[in-house]
Amino acid sequence: MADFRHHLTLYLRLLGAQIRSQGAHRTSFILDALGSLLITAAEFAALALVLPRFGGLGGWTLSEICLLYGLAELAFVLMDILFGGFDAPNLSAHVRTGSFSTFLLRPAPLTLQVFASDFALRRLPRVLLAAAIAGYGLTHAPLAAVPETAALLTAAVLGMICFFGGLFVIGGTLTFWTVDSVEAMNVLTYGGRTLISYPMDIYSAWLRRTFTYLIPAAFLSYLPALHLLGRPLPDGLPSWAALIGPLAGPLVLAGAFAFWRVGVRHYQGTGT
Amino acid sequence: MTTTPAPPTGGHVSRRSRLALPWAVARLGFQRQFAYPQAALWGLITNSFFGLLRVAVLLALFGTRPQVAGYTPQDAITYTGLTQAFIMAFSLFGWFDFMRVIHRGEVASDLLRPASLLGFWAAQDAGRAVGQLVLRGLPMLLIFQVIWGLNWPPGPLAWAQVVLSVLLAWACGFLFRFLVNCAAFWSPDAVGFGRFAWAVLGLGCGFLMPLAFFPEWFRALLAWTPFPGMLNTTVELWVGVTSGAAAWAALGTQLGWTLALLLLCRVTLRAGLRRLEVAGG
Repeated sequence: MADFRHHLTLYLRLLGAQIRSQGAHRTSFILDALGSLLITAAEFAALALVLPRFGGLGGWTLSEICLLYGLAELAFVLMDILFGGFDAPNLSAHVRTGSFSTFLLRPAPLTLQVFASDFALRRLPRVLLAAAIAGYGLTHAPLAAVPETAALLTAAVLGMICFFGGLFVIGGTLTFWTVDSVEAMNVLTYGGRTLISYPMDIYSAWLRRTFTYLIPAAFLSYLPALHLLGRPLPDGLPSWAALIGPLAGPLVLAGAFAFWRVGVRHYQGTGT
Repeated sequence: MTTTPAPPTGGHVSRRSRLALPWAVARLGFQRQFAYPQAALWGLITNSFFGLLRVAVLLALFGTRPQVAGYTPQDAITYTGLTQAFIMAFSLFGWFDFMRVIHRGEVASDLLRPASLLGFWAAQDAGRAVGQLVLRGLPMLLIFQVIWGLNWPPGPLAWAQVVLSVLLAWACGFLFRFLVNCAAFWSPDAVGFGRFAWAVLGLGCGFLMPLAFFPEWFRALLAWTPFPGMLNTTVELWVGVTSGAAAWAALGTQLGWTLALLLLCRVTLRAGLRRLEVAGG
């Protein structure tokens, strides 16, 4: 327990240093934050602006889509802030220049240092926007009155943070072997985020099944959302599948960290 | 130094030799795109995957409707294929090259070249755009053709208009990107400003959704900006949403904005260069 408290203090101290350094150039920081906010805002606005003309998306109304879209975006941005150090472009820069070796030399846990190595505060405004979109969905969508609503929503967001964080860790670990193939991970991370931002019944069966059973993305937010909206689950899945669905996230993250440990043992520095 | 052709002897500069330098620059810009074929392949796979998702969203919006705002579902698929194909050629996700050159002071060596700065960069970007069109654009269209089937321009006149529109869309887009990059003359924080500009571009040029689907007031607003001419006009000419006299009017609008942006770029560049100071070294 004392160990854990010590690590937490250390993590917070490293974050404090990050925050101070990012605050040094205030104008640059604000413009960066607004720019990254506007990218999400534009993407969502494009959908929200055309939706009235079509009346809905495959039987889903704007508020129901807001629920899916807001939850996915909220979890992804929070994950991006927390796991930014593992993101392949960041980590591969450390591996290529050899500065990853300095992490290994410091008398602090490696994983903790990587966690605290890129904490992009400029993404905070996007968190607020995503929360607002999800909030609109929650207040306007016809939710079935079930007692587990709050717990399931929290679990869905945490599950997605773990899931996408796991994908970041896997992508980062791959850079110990190659700096080329990490782009393939973009399909799973950014592609997966976009995929679960929309109701998954709009996709062809093979795509939906791939991202349900092979890559358990649908379990994270789509199945819980269906449950909360009182809609039946696809493929005749029992309703408890929606309740335990978010657990897929921690499982992916645990697997990712096991792979990470193998990768770190494989790492050999650049000799500089 | 560079592969500048030898200056012609005598005082007369022939038309041929004046074009030789931009042509050489464009060719090098073209060749440079083929340095990392593996990265291009992965980029193509990512673009295809997102294309797949965007087609699913558009088709779900259409539902059973045969036509919306002049687009059939097949037109919407073609729209998606075209926008995914032009991402790299038109640098729709952003372009910071000139900004970087200003911030690093390398613009000083660009200014030593025996060519106009804007012309040099335009030639380089034209070569880059053609390279990316070959590397990422045509394969993307082929993938869409194989999976869903595309609608193609109906005849020689439509093809001619589409080709003209692609050229103008590139010119208009390049000048806009160059103008945004010029912000680096005034501010070390121009990157943030650039991100802002690319987000507006994505919505305004019809990359995120066909502009015809937007509400009337929003389209009226966009009609006052150059953004539709940077992608949407080309798509509408290709699928035939715009045809006849309206097609020529659309091309005229693209040309008008290109000229206006050219003027604006030249004025801004002159003002920027006047305040430019590069630390020696």
